[in-house]
Amino acid sequence: MELLLFVLLLALTGVGAGLVGSLTGLGGAVVVIPVLLIAFSTPFPEAAGTGLITVLATSATTGSAYLRDRITDLRIGMFLEIATVPGALLGATFTIFLTHANLDHALLIALGGVLIATIPGAYRRRRIDPSVPAAPDARSVRLGLNGSYVDESGRSIPYQAAQTTPALGVAFGAGLVSGMFGIGGGVFKVLSMEHYLRLPMKVATATSNFMIGVTGAAGAGVLLAAGYIDPLLAAPAALGTTAGAWIGSRVFPGLRNQTVRLLFLPVIGALAVEVILRGVGIS
Amino acid sequence: MLRIGLLASLVVFLAGIIAHLALHPGVGWSPTESNPSLAYLNPAGLVHGLATGATAAYLTLGILLLVATPLVRVFSGLYYFERHGESTIAAIALAVFLMLLFGLFVLGPWVR
Repeated sequence: MELLLFVLLLALTGVGAGLVGSLTGLGGAVVVIPVLLIAFSTPFPEAAGTGLITVLATSATTGSAYLRDRITDLRIGMFLEIATVPGALLGATFTIFLTHANLDHALLIALGGVLIATIPGAYRRRRIDPSVPAAPDARSVRLGLNGSYVDESGRSIPYQAAQTTPALGVAFGAGLVSGMFGIGGGVFKVLSMEHYLRLPMKVATATSNFMIGVTGAAGAGVLLAAGYIDPLLAAPAALGTTAGAWIGSRVFPGLRNQTVRLLFLPVIGALAVEVILRGVGIS
Repeated sequence: MLRIGLLASLVVFLAGIIAHLALHPGVGWSPTESNPSLAYLNPAGLVHGLATGATAAYLTLGILLLVATPLVRVFSGLYYFERHGESTIAAIALAVFLMLLFGLFVLGPWVR
């Protein structure tokens, strides 16, 4: 295939991925990576590396808005990063080792499973009642993992992180998944922060966005230095995904509702099935 | 700060990919071709590549800018916590920062 055509097709894929990613809340990498693997027969680590580049680009795009609104909890985010970063370093290394051992098909099947696992998380929207306080554990109190944010009605809502140990466990897993497969894994992080730490949804989402960038940089750093991030893939994918995410947030701001998710999540499900079939040896 | 890092890398990506395509007309692409950034994954190689106008070097720079942005965020978080006397969280931030550097400068090259 001609390079120009490849670049244009990949950039176009990125635009679609960025759009779907921003409307579903799952990020663009969950579309870019399967397309690279299936349509362009990209080796797994290169596809994962490209995915992480799109993750970094999208996370930086949306992150500045959260910082401006002062809802990102840097303390809790940094605390959880002590688990996600080693997870990502391990995950990226693991993927490289598995590829060297010709076990890419196992990676493909695992990726398909992970993609399917992220879908229910995008549907569910847990409503944590902020007026019901959750009991913080000793670590949360000692490290001061608390804060407050101002809701729509102007009220200041205080919160305190609850169960930090399971949250760290899930954070490690989210980092592992991010480093191994090149996705952001934000769904897992947000669910963990809402369920175990009992953080308000907005704080969890904003903090997850910060974490996705840091975790993404951990995996991307390993893959880049190991020579698995090809700039001819990274550049068009990053440009396309950023454009798509921007279109999603500016042109369709009112579309981020349950109906839209119902429309687009099957796309990710279909890609997941295709990836699994490729891993098993069919298609 | 986030915005600047992202915009810089996107500008470099856009200019770099256009220049690369213009300077390599009609060239083919296949999934098994070698990664053009390999020569630029060390400081000396990158500087030489940028100085000689190698488009792949500039594209690699764009990637580095994107990867560096979260590192800068963690470092500024570390600085913030240190200044506000939150030594435990500052130590955590430092550990995170060092682990990121470890991945980039030790682990990555080791598994190549």
